[in-house]
Amino acid sequence: MRYVDEFRDGRLGQAVAGEILTTVDPARHYKVMEICGGHTHSIYKYGIDDLLPANVELVHGPGCPVCVIPMGRVDDGIAVARTDGVIFACFGDMLRVPGSERTLLDAKAQGADVRMVYSPLDALRIARENPDREVVFFAIGFETTAPSTALTLKRAKAERLTNFSCFCNHVTIVEPLEALLGSPEVTLDGFVGPGHVCTVIGTRPFEFIPARHGRPVVISGFEPLDILQSILMLVAQLRDGRCEVENQYTRVVPRDGNARALEVMAEVFEPRPVFEWRGLGFIPHSALALSDAYREFDAEARFDVPGVRVSDPTECQCGDVLKGAIKPWECRVFGTACTPEHAIGTCMVSPEGACAAYYNYGRLARAREIV
Amino acid sequence: MSAPSDRPECEAAEGHCITCADEGIVMRVLELDGDSALCAAGEGAVTSVAVDLVAPVARGDELLVHAGVALVRLGVPS
Repeated sequence: MRYVDEFRDGRLGQAVAGEILTTVDPARHYKVMEICGGHTHSIYKYGIDDLLPANVELVHGPGCPVCVIPMGRVDDGIAVARTDGVIFACFGDMLRVPGSERTLLDAKAQGADVRMVYSPLDALRIARENPDREVVFFAIGFETTAPSTALTLKRAKAERLTNFSCFCNHVTIVEPLEALLGSPEVTLDGFVGPGHVCTVIGTRPFEFIPARHGRPVVISGFEPLDILQSILMLVAQLRDGRCEVENQYTRVVPRDGNARALEVMAEVFEPRPVFEWRGLGFIPHSALALSDAYREFDAEARFDVPGVRVSDPTECQCGDVLKGAIKPWECRVFGTACTPEHAIGTCMVSPEGACAAYYNYGRLARAREIV
Repeated sequence: MSAPSDRPECEAAEGHCITCADEGIVMRVLELDGDSALCAAGEGAVTSVAVDLVAPVARGDELLVHAGVALVRLGVPS
């Protein structure tokens, strides 16, 4: 397929890996964070880390919305889903995320009408087809996904649908990066930036990283050659003493993003004063709520939402994994008590979660060999 | 033209997750339908995609689609 196959060429991948080897300083260690969970998934799916020199270390960032959602918000969603007469629509990954007592999949098994959808527009269709039921969409995702929710709510408002609402958990990427960079335990040399988020917000919002924190950023696509080339661009910046935001994914990402998507988001959403991130704590202005103009569609106003903060299980170290402080296999329950089939932590639930990516692509065995 | 198929369930595409934003499917526009377009990825199923955010689109255009919404019209110089 065009735009895909040519970026999976193994011979070219080897060539770029060779170029990385000749670009890095063998006396130096490079710690690079890939922000997006999609990159984490591709890195382990295609074995990209195996192609890198030993002194180039990849650290996994907080860019998986399923992984960073706190347990209390999952409980809130489940409480809405269990309300009489509600059809609760959500993306598939959310179904298995553990709340304090159950998952949405458990709630479905216990009788709640939970339906998996591929797009919020599908949830809207369900609302049209079921005018006598309340349909609630569990909105989650970064700026890539938020426009689809915004567009859906605009259509709901235009159609004057009164049985549709949204439990909004959209988050934004810049604020948690600010928080990470302000943390003394995080020592990073550069970032592989989230390509698809940048299709919406553009590359400018990342300019604070080189400007204020002195670390280079390369916005990257998701195919193996994209990621290898981005790492090459990053180590070349470090070799040359440059520090800027570069765009490897120019075939898709415009510098200013999608102005229309930003406009729709600005109409439908407003920043939350503060939002809790699993592992990162409370971060100001890091999530979106519905704006006053769309308050009528806010499920948190329409339903009785417990809103209780729930601590993570003590044995779970997702927080340290999300900050890049430990590798997934260094977590005390990785691959033993916590597996994709019986996840304790969110990082093991989503395929983009660092723990699940390690586990699913055979890194459990490798990690044990290393130990 | 056949009717659009039901959308695949969330985890169908290469085992990855829609919420993490890595899912950007390149789709070709087959037929316009107001604010939506019938699109196909390669030889895959035909599905309806909202094109409000990238309009105007024409038959044959390639779009980057996420969660049923086109975010980028490919091949357009920025």
